[in-house]
Amino acid sequence: MNSLILRTVVPLLVSIMLVFSIFVLLRGHSLPGGGFIGGLIAASSLALYMIASGSQAVRKALVLHPMSIGGLGLLFAVFSGVPSYFSDVPYLTGLWYEPEFFHISLIATPVLFDLGVYLVVVGSITAIALALEEWH
Amino acid sequence: MIAIAVLSGFVLAVFAPFVHRLTKPLSGWVLAALPAAIFFYFVQMMPQIAHGETVRAAWDWVPSFGVTLSFYVDGLSLIFALLISGIGAFIVAYAGGYLKGHKDHGRFMGFILAFMGSMLGLVLADNLITLFVFWELTSITSFLLIGFNHDKPRSRRAAIQALVVTGGGGLALLGGLLLLGVAGGSFELSELLASGSIAENPYYLPIFLLVLAGAFTKSAQVPFHFWLPNAMEAPTPVSAYLHSATMVKAGVYLLARMNPILGGTDIWELVLPVFGGITLLTGTLLGLRQTDVKQILAYTTVASLGLLVMLIGIGTDVAITAAVLYLISHALFKGGLFMVAGSIDHSTGTRETVRLSGLGKVMPLTALAGLLAGLSMMGIWPFFGFIAKEVIYEATLHHDPRMWITAVAIIGNSLMLAAAALVGLRPFFGKLLQTPKEPHEGSPSLWLGALTLGVLGVVFGMMSHFSGEYLVAPMASAIGGRDIHTALHLWPEVSLPLALSGVTIFLGFIWFWQIDHLRSLLYAATQRLWGPDHGSDQFLAALVRVSKNLTGLLQTGRLNFYITFTLTMLALTLGIPVIAYGLLPTSIVLPDVALHIYGVFGLTVVGALALLFARSRLQAILSMGVTGFSVALIFLIFGAPDLAFTQFMVETLSVVIIALVLLRLPVDTYDRRDFLPSLRDAGLAISIGVAFTSIMMAIGAEPLDLTLTEYFAANSYLEAHGRNIVNVILVDFRALDTLGEIAVVLVAGLAALALIKVRDGILTSPDANRVTREDEA
Amino acid sequence: MTLTDWTVVLPVALALGGTALCAVFWWRPVIQSAIGIVITLLMLVSAGVLVCTVATEGPQTMAMSGWPGPFGIVFAVDLLGAGLAFVTALVGLLILIYNFGDQSSDYRRVGYTPLLLAMLAGVSGAFLTGDIFNLYVWFEVLIIGSFGLLILGGKKAQLDGAIKYATLNLLATTFFLIATGLLYGLTGTLNMADLASKVAAVDNRALVNVVAALYLLAFGMKAAAFPLFFWLPASYHTPKPGVSAVFAGLLTKVGVYALYRVFTLIFPASDTIFADLLIWIAGATILAGGLGAIAQTDIRRLVAFTVVGGIGYMLVGLALQSPLALTGGLFYIFHSMLISTALFLAVGIAGRLGGSYDIAKLGGLYRARPAFAMMFLVVLFAVAGVPPFSGFWPKVVLVQASLAADAPWLAGVILVGGFLTLVAVARAFAAAFWDNGEEEPPRATHYGDRVGALMLPTLVIIGLSVLMGLAAEPVVQLAGQAAAGLSDPSAYIEAVLGGSE
Repeated sequence: MNSLILRTVVPLLVSIMLVFSIFVLLRGHSLPGGGFIGGLIAASSLALYMIASGSQAVRKALVLHPMSIGGLGLLFAVFSGVPSYFSDVPYLTGLWYEPEFFHISLIATPVLFDLGVYLVVVGSITAIALALEEWH
Repeated sequence: MIAIAVLSGFVLAVFAPFVHRLTKPLSGWVLAALPAAIFFYFVQMMPQIAHGETVRAAWDWVPSFGVTLSFYVDGLSLIFALLISGIGAFIVAYAGGYLKGHKDHGRFMGFILAFMGSMLGLVLADNLITLFVFWELTSITSFLLIGFNHDKPRSRRAAIQALVVTGGGGLALLGGLLLLGVAGGSFELSELLASGSIAENPYYLPIFLLVLAGAFTKSAQVPFHFWLPNAMEAPTPVSAYLHSATMVKAGVYLLARMNPILGGTDIWELVLPVFGGITLLTGTLLGLRQTDVKQILAYTTVASLGLLVMLIGIGTDVAITAAVLYLISHALFKGGLFMVAGSIDHSTGTRETVRLSGLGKVMPLTALAGLLAGLSMMGIWPFFGFIAKEVIYEATLHHDPRMWITAVAIIGNSLMLAAAALVGLRPFFGKLLQTPKEPHEGSPSLWLGALTLGVLGVVFGMMSHFSGEYLVAPMASAIGGRDIHTALHLWPEVSLPLALSGVTIFLGFIWFWQIDHLRSLLYAATQRLWGPDHGSDQFLAALVRVSKNLTGLLQTGRLNFYITFTLTMLALTLGIPVIAYGLLPTSIVLPDVALHIYGVFGLTVVGALALLFARSRLQAILSMGVTGFSVALIFLIFGAPDLAFTQFMVETLSVVIIALVLLRLPVDTYDRRDFLPSLRDAGLAISIGVAFTSIMMAIGAEPLDLTLTEYFAANSYLEAHGRNIVNVILVDFRALDTLGEIAVVLVAGLAALALIKVRDGILTSPDANRVTREDEA
Repeated sequence: MTLTDWTVVLPVALALGGTALCAVFWWRPVIQSAIGIVITLLMLVSAGVLVCTVATEGPQTMAMSGWPGPFGIVFAVDLLGAGLAFVTALVGLLILIYNFGDQSSDYRRVGYTPLLLAMLAGVSGAFLTGDIFNLYVWFEVLIIGSFGLLILGGKKAQLDGAIKYATLNLLATTFFLIATGLLYGLTGTLNMADLASKVAAVDNRALVNVVAALYLLAFGMKAAAFPLFFWLPASYHTPKPGVSAVFAGLLTKVGVYALYRVFTLIFPASDTIFADLLIWIAGATILAGGLGAIAQTDIRRLVAFTVVGGIGYMLVGLALQSPLALTGGLFYIFHSMLISTALFLAVGIAGRLGGSYDIAKLGGLYRARPAFAMMFLVVLFAVAGVPPFSGFWPKVVLVQASLAADAPWLAGVILVGGFLTLVAVARAFAAAFWDNGEEEPPRATHYGDRVGALMLPTLVIIGLSVLMGLAAEPVVQLAGQAAAGLSDPSAYIEAVLGGSE
């Protein structure tokens, strides 16, 4: 859509929404939020960007193919269970390591897992949206 | 060692095509070496068996199911094994000459050898299941052999028919054998034979009927006889081997083998002779109707099998001896005659008896073979066939109702004599007629086997004492389950059987002399008759028709139907127990919550009602959205904000997407449904809804086990570092579920991409101009 | 915990990881194929180790995320689950190889490999899990993965089949979900081993029976049992035979497995009316499959109906519930997984050679490719239960079990079903392979360079099946051991609840 207003406002909006989505992701463990919701918010923001500036702009911004992003997400999630092998506990056990940021320990397998969820949601929905947009 | 004898056939069968290619002109003789070797192996067992010993060898095959690969050599199986391997050797050599130049010659040899292995396994098997395995293998190899000339529709039809009939009988046999194993307490024949008759067992009748079904189908008894003449579509070596000397005798073998266990009862002595007798007469009469040599031979084989069944049914010592004699002599002369017929066909190009005459001058050796075999079949002294006939009459005369049985035997035998003369004598005497091809004597492979068999027919007859002691007695004793020694006399005593033989010969020559009249008479009589052959075609066609109709009932191809049917099943599955167990709620207890929450419940119901009465699809979808939002509100109110948020987002997205898609589709904006279907759908919906509600209320009335809830609440913060129990469950307690779910999301994305990018087989790449066409498959 | 302990979860983790990696390398199909081969190989190895471990040490477990059962999700693998996971990996690997011979690289360009791996993940997960809701999750994974595979290619017939498949299967899974919700409401647990005792302890048997009936409906539909089997012949013939093969080999078996697990562990069928119901369903399924096969002219649909008939035999084993019957049923499951796959693979090759899947139009393949024709005949006879191939033994056992259970009519149905299949198979072979007489034998189309990739996996599976028929004893022993584990699940329950880690 070739609207000046949109093209001005949207990048700002998208950035805020993206940051917000990450915030929602990280706070999920103790307050409403989490990977799904964060991912949905991020995907919505990217959809908005796509409406404003076209699919090519989104693809350039993403750098990677959205499916690769999704795949990376699933990979993170699968891998978050691997460190448990080295700690002699079953697959996917939640392991929390020491350094804490803002009272949230960030180096932890459930965090990686949730990040994976986030990326999967973002990647899949964006992939579908972009493909639909480019469908003739 | 015995196992090697049996299984070597299969091994060589696999390599046969290669051997054939290597030894082209002599491949028949080369490959015949194996059957010959097997034959001599069994010959050296003869003295041992003649003295009443038996040999058994066993290996575990599937011990958990009681199946052993066990083989048992006694008089019965030894003689059969000798016939199979001996005649087999000649057949293999014969096939080498008969099929010379044929494209699939090597394959054919392989099939024949595989068949030989199967047949050997069948007669030597001791374990019931092992026997069945080989039984089915003979059906399979027979299928492949009959259909060998598969470019001809008649061959294909005959092969399928044979497979279906013998296969169907085989399945019945399986049931019978399994029952027998249970009833008799063992799956080993040797043990069953030792324990004797199971006539008193409650399972006797079903076992008898099932085994009979198997035996009758395999041995072409009326009404299952029709497949055998049709099987003549196969190349002559096949007819000579399978459909005269060996495979069709498998049923007879089975009955003989089962005689000590199942025989001797009233029903045995009634059913077998009756069916056998009918088969004898039917076979000979229908045979004389034919003019094709192979067809005549086929029908007389049917008749001979009937005669054998009849004799086994009679079951006295004499009858069994007669059966043994006839079985051996029949194998010799029938195999010989088939080979002669094939030689004639091969050299003259025709098989019509009316066109064959005077060939004795040009094919002297073949003529001699035919003569010898024919005379044995006619039962002329001093051939083996004569001795057989004598004992047959002795048997029929001493068993009630002697008049009928003897009469049947006389008629049958005399008709067969006519047939024998027609096939074995007439083509060779008289004036030489014009034939499509110039007749000539074939290579040794073509006449050596027939000649040898014919000679044996005389030799065995003349060496009656030897035959009696080494061939007949052991086999008869094995069949009878008791020692049977009947002395065989080459020089017949003056007695009633001799007189009857004379009558038979006399009658036979009358039939032969008047053959043309007889033939036209028979033809006229049977012209309009409906026979089982036609019946089997009708059966198959009907089966296909019924299958199509029945299958079409459920497999309508319409998704509408499928969904309605499924939901009907759901309604039944839920509704029946609900009503049967009386789960319908008798009282409704309203939950104790604030008024505004009732408002939310109300909103949900409003949404559902709006959906029902929506006047366009768009309205319907929006109404569904309203219901979805209300559910999200319920989540929010009852303390699950995460769920609520996700529900809001997903609901919005789905409504938007569905609306967008629907707007692009060329469908009606209204959902038109007639009154009756609407009623049906309403009924389904209401019953399912009521059923689910009742069930849930009933479950709700039971105390809820809160073990899991308490555990999660207790451990969420302490162990899992999180206060948001929902998220903790998602990413920690039940993380594996989430892992699976995000995989679903990703895969959904993949599938959507695939749908968008490849349409109708064409890949459209977003960043390229080229279009790649899919391969057709 | 050693690597051997981790083999309990490795098949699933590997498959999911593989899916992810393939998605990451979305634009490079070659890398994806390589990933696919490596992953399925690793899956095969770990499943193999798992089978050995379970066979010697008993059921293996792993409590996911460290939370013990019944609070967390526990993977609980007995011999049945391990064996099925092993065959799954094997079939997956062979299918990937077969796909190399299928010259449409376009498939691989749009995600064939990750879709297949995802499906394998779902199937393996279903066989390995010990939690009933987790089972539902894996069902979802395999449905969406199989849906993706179905629509690859985008032809109209495929979309038609895919919609029917997806709609009906999603309906079935929804029933499953609702039943699970109800079950949780009744018992408060989702762990299958725990459910065994909790369900038995519920006073209100009426509710238990209702929930069990709903499960029977859901899994029965998923397993393509009578009368809800119509989705299978409506959809299985539409994609490429390579895809149909993996469907036929794996997907329905998941439904059958679920039935076996639920109705031996949670709702033991021996003391409810379900045993009788199952016997009727089994018999009807056998006949429906046999009659359906005879009615077909498309060779792919014929094979689809033989798959349906096979389900009936597997259900007989469950319905009779004796150790002998269970052994026969389990043997049949393994046999069917291999043979159904082999059938579709062979049909694929036949279709390529003959240029059509219509039996009337095919013909002359015997003359053109005799060795292949014999191979095909072996497979056809195996599916008809002709000895000495692998389909014969379970049939014999099931007949024996029926007789022992005083259900001679069921034995009759089994034998009649075999007869019907034999008729269908013989007619198909004669029409499709032997000459029609009218036309020239068809020239092979698209057969040329990649024939090895097509033939090799087909031959391997057929070889295995023949081996299973000739040397049946080891498989019987395995099936017997697995069956014993089903009849008496105490070892399983003990492994899950009594001190699992």
